[in-house]
Amino acid sequence: MSRLFVQSDWVTPMVVALSLGVLISLFNPAFLSTFNIQVLLEAVSINVLIALSQMVIIAIGQMNLSVGALGGLAAVIFAGLMEVFGIPPILAGAMALSVGLVGGLLNGLLIGLTGISAFVITLATLSIFKGLNLAITQAQPFYEIPDSVKLFGNSTLFGPFPVIFIPAALVVVLLVVFFNRLPVGRWLLAVGGNAHSAELSGISTTKTVVIAHAISGLLAACAGILLVARLQLGQPTIGDDWLLMSFAAPIIGGAILAGGHVSTVATVFGVLIVAQITQALVLFNIDPFVVQIVLGLMILTAVTANQWRELRMKHAGQE
Amino acid sequence: MSLVSSDARKPVRGLDVKRLLLTNEFGLLLLIVVFGTLFYSVSSGFLSSFNLNSMSRAAAINVMIGFSMMAVIATGGLSLAVGAIGVCSAMMCGWLLQEIALPWPLALVAAIATGALLGVINGMIEVKTRLHSFIVTLATMSLFFGIMIFLTQAQTYRGIPASFVSFGRMKVMGFSATLGPTLMVAAALIVLYNFTRVGKEMLAAGAKPQAAMLSGVRVGRMIVLAHALSGGLAAIAALLLVARNGAAIPSMAGQQGQDWLLVAFLGPVLGGAVLTGGKISVVGAFLGAVLVTVLSNGLLLMQIGDFWLQATLGAVLLLAVLLDLARRKFLERRAQ
Amino acid sequence: MSNIAFEARSVSKFFPGVKALQNVSMQMREGSIHALLGENGAGKSTLIKLVTGVYRPDEGQLFAGSEPVNFTRPHDAIAAGVGVVHQERNLIPRFSVAENMALSQLANHPITPINYADLNEQAKPWLDILGLDIDPATQVSRLSVAQMQMVEIAKALAQQTRVLLLDEPTASLTPMESKALFDVLQRLRDDGVSMLFVSHKLEEVKEICDTVSVLRDGVNAGENIAMENLERHDLIRLMIGRDESAAKARHSRAGGEAVALELINVSTAQGHKDINLDVKRCEIVGLYGLVGAGRTELAKAIMGAATITDGEVLRDGRTVKIANPTDALHRHKIGYVSENRKDEGLILEHSVLENAGITIWRKSANRLGWLTRAGVKKRTVPFLDKLAVKTPTLNQKVGNLSGGNQQKIAMAKWLAAGVEVLIVDEPTVGIDVNSKAYLHELLHELANDGTAVLLITSDLPEMISLADRILVMDEFVIKGEVKNTGDYKAISQSVMEHIHHSKDELRRAKSAVSG
Repeated sequence: MSRLFVQSDWVTPMVVALSLGVLISLFNPAFLSTFNIQVLLEAVSINVLIALSQMVIIAIGQMNLSVGALGGLAAVIFAGLMEVFGIPPILAGAMALSVGLVGGLLNGLLIGLTGISAFVITLATLSIFKGLNLAITQAQPFYEIPDSVKLFGNSTLFGPFPVIFIPAALVVVLLVVFFNRLPVGRWLLAVGGNAHSAELSGISTTKTVVIAHAISGLLAACAGILLVARLQLGQPTIGDDWLLMSFAAPIIGGAILAGGHVSTVATVFGVLIVAQITQALVLFNIDPFVVQIVLGLMILTAVTANQWRELRMKHAGQE
Repeated sequence: MSLVSSDARKPVRGLDVKRLLLTNEFGLLLLIVVFGTLFYSVSSGFLSSFNLNSMSRAAAINVMIGFSMMAVIATGGLSLAVGAIGVCSAMMCGWLLQEIALPWPLALVAAIATGALLGVINGMIEVKTRLHSFIVTLATMSLFFGIMIFLTQAQTYRGIPASFVSFGRMKVMGFSATLGPTLMVAAALIVLYNFTRVGKEMLAAGAKPQAAMLSGVRVGRMIVLAHALSGGLAAIAALLLVARNGAAIPSMAGQQGQDWLLVAFLGPVLGGAVLTGGKISVVGAFLGAVLVTVLSNGLLLMQIGDFWLQATLGAVLLLAVLLDLARRKFLERRAQ
Repeated sequence: MSNIAFEARSVSKFFPGVKALQNVSMQMREGSIHALLGENGAGKSTLIKLVTGVYRPDEGQLFAGSEPVNFTRPHDAIAAGVGVVHQERNLIPRFSVAENMALSQLANHPITPINYADLNEQAKPWLDILGLDIDPATQVSRLSVAQMQMVEIAKALAQQTRVLLLDEPTASLTPMESKALFDVLQRLRDDGVSMLFVSHKLEEVKEICDTVSVLRDGVNAGENIAMENLERHDLIRLMIGRDESAAKARHSRAGGEAVALELINVSTAQGHKDINLDVKRCEIVGLYGLVGAGRTELAKAIMGAATITDGEVLRDGRTVKIANPTDALHRHKIGYVSENRKDEGLILEHSVLENAGITIWRKSANRLGWLTRAGVKKRTVPFLDKLAVKTPTLNQKVGNLSGGNQQKIAMAKWLAAGVEVLIVDEPTVGIDVNSKAYLHELLHELANDGTAVLLITSDLPEMISLADRILVMDEFVIKGEVKNTGDYKAISQSVMEHIHHSKDELRRAKSAVSG
């Protein structure tokens, strides 16, 4: 009985995502074309990393405004290392990932050790990361991306499946294991659920906060690197529009902002829902700005629904 | 001894002045003077009439943006939508001026009303759903901006009457005339939070909503009013920007108005606002925004790239909150 | 006599200006349930915080068994075998029962993959011991409060506790759930577990505890006394340090006065049923009850902060609908001095003047809405002076003042508003003796001058010295009324009978239904 309840976390988003796909394809069969599915999956692969980067922080009941800025910084460093210093892609990728890790550690340490609100700290660091980004790029993109990277970002396997789907899928699997099977992952959920209780049982809130932010930074950097590969450019504007998406998908996937309850799989379906809507709007020639309107409304609806469900659950236990 | 008599007998000099010198506000003033002097010594162009005008014009806008966020911080919330609301209001004004040829005083009023209305929407959503203002304004920021872009098709309105544009260029004693409205608003806010019931109830509702509620304060109403105020102030900030640019540009505050966020927080936070609500300083927020403007302007003058500026400001915010924490810990320890 | 499981020997704890505990000793033995009693402010919670590692003793020593121990943080106490079940639930809501119980294990092994089946297996035996018939894989948030509490006990037991500390365990339990809990505790005791039972419910303490320690004003008033030698009145005497001889009774002037506040058959969303009460001008009506009886909730309902679902509320004889506290105060002149000073009665971060004036800002503003400091002072300072509030200036942050002064300010703001009905909830909890006397004087005066006062207090002597008549509330219903004759013993008995009568009734009703 209780297991069914857990399953229902991702069942609803899945149903919505699939029905949405069906619905849209009914209006325009081109939606299910190979090309379209490829574009969809490419968007999902990258957006999923952005969403999970935020989800990890929502799990501990905080928010990370610097997801986009950090991802963007890692992206331009990735591109810049290859163009300016001729560093091979894999090494450049590793270095860019460590930038994400360090940035995340910075956030985590500042928040964990000082107790200052995550909002303010990440607002400050977002500006620092963005500033570094602009200082490095001088607002000019890095154009010289090695062919191997371009290929990586734009080829497909078995029909419409983009190669970049693989790292994204890998991350999803790792996070599912992390949050469900590894004690460290449970630490995050424990701290988000009841920090005091977690602390009493010996879980260090500070350590947990640092770990969460480090992972978040890593995932953001991952997204940035994949985006460079796909766009075939090191754009300094990468990350500028990540804020909304980073929250929308986890929330649509049922995350509770107070912490303690997130679902990786549901977030993936959340990303799928958003990507489908964005794509549909393009297909139907609707103003792309309508996406923002729709996203804004979806967030409001989803977060209200989540809240209502949470309250109902609390009352159910108090018979 | 009655409290009335003891309160009246407090010496106005002596003890009071010393306490004045230790305030946050005086510290900010000192920093402004120090940095101003520093920048002047590096480049005498810092105090040139051109630069003073340009700096004061930027300060007027930054102060207003800070006030817009401060209004919501006072009741314990935050609004990610200040930029979006500001831009929407400015675009409304631009449209009214260019397409409807409305006389500009009416267009201004309509713009401010738009800002206030959008703020009311935020406030009502927050109160009715009991959601945190962060997520509400994250959603509405996109919603409002998206609707605006959709309606205006992202065009820039240049049909701004000449009188309005020249106001943006006018100088009074070397400083931009746009400081005028800003100073008037500052005075009004000081009155609001110190000499009106509404302002005081807003602060009570922000400091401890439960206690305020049980003492007869309409907390929900105060939150909606605070958001309305924030929206109106954001509109004024955007209008000042329109006057400076001579046009209503949809990207004036960046994507969805995000560019304003840093400045919006820097002013009030440097000025001593407590983010959990109930404590703000109008003078502090004013001086904080001025300090940020002086720093930005000076660094640019020193040829430290426009690009390092943002990083520096982020570092300033970080430093400010860390110092504030240290200061509070120090005071706590002293009180024991 | 069995071995000592945990001991506090001559511990003291000082705070600036306050001796919270002085030279207190307490022993908890294996296979016994030890009670810790004391009025509010007697030092109970400080002692608990020492035992659970939240504070360090300034003098004296704690012993786990015969080993001296020093705790620097709560986790140390848990590691030393002090299992605590607090008043508020301390579980991770979205985790299962088994996972909550194994949380410390998870804390120590970050990367060992979790085997939930194993965790469930580990949890089962402990749940069985407690007679908890639930699937260990159940998400904790789906359990009832009573079940959650049992899970916490199971968790504590599973962690090799030497002594299980239960802090007000029946606070949120129904009588049936309490009975089930006691059965469990007695079984545990028979199995050799040592327990510390902290409660202010004397009947419960008498029922299941073997020995008792009583604290009064921070010192031992009764140390490790066997419960069988004590009667309830003995316990009370130890707690309040005086015989229940006549407390100063009140001379009421409410004779022919009009009814200022009346409730007719009022029911609320929180569970009150058919509440009937009335308070006349110049009258102090007491509302007595144990914690959890529903008195504060009723007060909040009267103030409009909670929903009234049935019945009528009358102010000065006219039926009124009080929508919210703003309505209650400004339209109907009802005030409420909250029992929770820190979160509801005051804004600690704001100044004395800002706190005292909050109720009169509307009145002080002139037609243009302009408020002056002088205007607010004029309306508040006379009351601050009257209550002898001690503060260096009016700008002093209320949080920096003593509890007594804080409470005076919390009271003053209602006086400044000129309320005609004042509900006072536990006014002198944690307050020094002098301020307490002052507040009592004030309440007498207030009533004599015409205010209708509804006094909520669990302090019977206070009740007797202040109230004209005493209503007894239990389980969200008014059980009866006792006239204040000044005879402590008789009144105390009468009151207890009303409450017990209700419990017997309930027990009989429940057994009739299930029988």
